[in-house]
Amino acid sequence: MTSTALILIITLLTLGSYWVGMQRSIKVAGGVSQIKNMHSLPQQFGLLTAFCCGLPALFLLLLWGIVEPIIIQSLLVDSLDAQVQALSSADLSLYLNDIRIMADSTLSELSNDGVKQQAALYLQVLKDQASILKSGLILITALASVMFIASRFKLSFSARALSESVTKFLFLSCSVVAIFTTLGILMSVLFESLQFFKSVSSLDFLFGTTWSPQIAMRSDQVGSSGAFGAVPLFAGTMLISFIAMTIAAPVGLLTAIYLSQYASPTLRTIAKPMLEILAGIPTVVYGFFAALTVAPFIRDTGEALGLNVASESALAAGIVMGVMIIPFVSSLSDDALNAVPKALKEGSLAMGATESETIKKILLPAALPGIIGAMLLAVSRAIGETMIVVMAAGMAANLTANPLAAVTTVTVQIVTLLTGDQEFDSPKTLAAFALGLMLFVTTLLLNVIALKVVRKYREQYD
Amino acid sequence: MTIKTKSLTDGMEIEHTVGNVFADDPKMSMRNVDVFYNDKQAIKNVSIDLARNQVTALIGPSGCGKSTFLRCLNRMNDTIDICKIKGSLLLDGEDIYHKKMDPVLLRARVGMVFQKPNPFPKSIYDNVAYGPRIHGLAASKDDLDEIVVTSLQKAGLYKEVKDRLSSSGTGLSGGQQQRLCIARTIAVSPEIILMDEPASALDPIATAIIEELIDELKEKYTIAIVTHSMQQAARISQTTAYFHMGSLIEVGSTDHIFTNPSHQLTENYITGRFG
Ligand SMILES: Nc1ncnc2c1ncn2[C@@H]1O[C@H](COP(=O)(O)OP(=O)(O)OP(=O)(O)O)[C@@H](O)[C@H]1O
Ligand SMILES: [Mg+2]
Repeated sequence: MTSTALILIITLLTLGSYWVGMQRSIKVAGGVSQIKNMHSLPQQFGLLTAFCCGLPALFLLLLWGIVEPIIIQSLLVDSLDAQVQALSSADLSLYLNDIRIMADSTLSELSNDGVKQQAALYLQVLKDQASILKSGLILITALASVMFIASRFKLSFSARALSESVTKFLFLSCSVVAIFTTLGILMSVLFESLQFFKSVSSLDFLFGTTWSPQIAMRSDQVGSSGAFGAVPLFAGTMLISFIAMTIAAPVGLLTAIYLSQYASPTLRTIAKPMLEILAGIPTVVYGFFAALTVAPFIRDTGEALGLNVASESALAAGIVMGVMIIPFVSSLSDDALNAVPKALKEGSLAMGATESETIKKILLPAALPGIIGAMLLAVSRAIGETMIVVMAAGMAANLTANPLAAVTTVTVQIVTLLTGDQEFDSPKTLAAFALGLMLFVTTLLLNVIALKVVRKYREQYD
Repeated sequence: MTIKTKSLTDGMEIEHTVGNVFADDPKMSMRNVDVFYNDKQAIKNVSIDLARNQVTALIGPSGCGKSTFLRCLNRMNDTIDICKIKGSLLLDGEDIYHKKMDPVLLRARVGMVFQKPNPFPKSIYDNVAYGPRIHGLAASKDDLDEIVVTSLQKAGLYKEVKDRLSSSGTGLSGGQQQRLCIARTIAVSPEIILMDEPASALDPIATAIIEELIDELKEKYTIAIVTHSMQQAARISQTTAYFHMGSLIEVGSTDHIFTNPSHQLTENYITGRFG
């Protein structure tokens, strides 16, 4: 039986055992009319029974999935010739791989290696046995634990507390999953970055001002050894994000204020979804728009003014990115403003304050944490955005504060480092992970700072 | 004084208010006011005057429309989209719903203390200083300090908060918040003060302070107060108006209403047979 089928069966059994638990508890109580004598409700008994059925079985399945390959492999290796066993671990794993492929393929008869053929057959047998054993064991566990728990039902049995704590445990494990995923990603990035810092000094990386990640692929190849100074990339990222935020922050915030305070309900119901559509446009479309419409426009205007504008400029990318993140700012700020109790607004108006005084002095301070959150999300979007920059700001890692020059960003460089053919142990590839780590640290710092700001200036309204 | 009601059962139509709705020297006079929330009529054909430098008490069972009516007097209901108001409401002879009337200026003249305390999420000092700052009432920092302290003193809150004027107004207890909102309102010296159950969360001592304040305020201001306490209405008001299901049933001098109500509903209410 495959794991999928097994999971399906466990699910069905779990649902069934909910019903069984309920019926059993009603019977223990002595009929529906006697339920009030029980410590807990039949639903709680049902829930507990369902947990008892599903959780141990699923846990066993998981455990089996981890342990089975290890045991089967060691059995398989034991069955092989001593000569094969003596192979180096890399060769051995190649050898085993061949056997696995043969065992999985139906065309295994075509193979001409008798020893491997036999090993493959043995592997198939092992796998079949393991599968039967697994299905049997898991189903028996599920049924046995249902019977066990159901046999213990009595009037004073506290199913409520038990099912409550199991539920709590489930919630806990879900949040733990999220935390561990983040940690896992962080660890893998960190590990690869450490590899990178073995070949490139971290000072060069952090403070170097030249970025040209050309590294000789072969030792005899002509070419430089590459320069991995990340400063131009971060400068480019900051420059573009800054341009984007100078557009998105005021426009988005003012839009939110208008929508939440001045707009009529009809206008509001039309305008808000329209704005949110902006957020749904794929960024590659924005990139297109930036490269084909905005960048040429800026160049032409710049030239008319006698300025020297690169055909791909930070300004073009920044402006379009700003437009892209307006809905993030406006939508979230709008929610924050609407969450301020109406009584506060009325209190201010009743003092003879005008609408704009009320907004400035009461609503905005009260909604500040939400607004900061909106800005932060927008900044993270801007920092993480890649497509628009590739298309409109170019790839040239210039260290400049001039918005009319071509720049590149961290994310764009990560993409270029990791696309195409590359080796996974060359500094060129590993640099991508180091950049990713830096990006992660940057956004983390941003979050921490924003949190501090919010704590300091927040005005609590209840 | 004739009773022109069709019947005394619930759901009846009341065509005329019993008693004299006209004041000799009205600060505000409302005529034939109807208020609707969408199609639901919350105030039905109410006419009443607020006499200058007097306290008018609005009483009546919960949900009868006292707050709704009070909120019409400083156009607070403008903030509710579904609320529609008909009839004439005059302040010193001027129509407050006239399109030339600026609601901001009106509200500076007609202050309001809300039923639910709504201190701003600012410091206690800034709460009280909010109005004076907006209206430029204080020429200097000292002036402002003076206004804040006297307002807090009048509201009977100063002693409790004088050491923590810079802590948040929302951190106060419910009754303290209520007094803070009163202090905030009197800090701008409006001509009329509308109070919606200003003492609902106050202990007897704080209540006595507020009642004293109201008594003192009426020398200079005109006051309308909603209250659920008969004793309070009897103690502080000169005129009492009894509302019932959106209609104004009876208006009269407080002495008269509490000793010898003319309408059966009024009598039921004040003797505790209703509400
Ligand atoms: N914002 C609103 N939207 C719709 N209906 C409302 C609104 N405010 C009040 N009402 C309705 O108008 C009627 C009168 O309400 P109002 O708040 O004026 O009563 P009240 O006399 O102040 O009662 P209480 O003594 O409980 O404060 C009630 O039936 C209420 O449901
Ligand atoms: Mg009310």
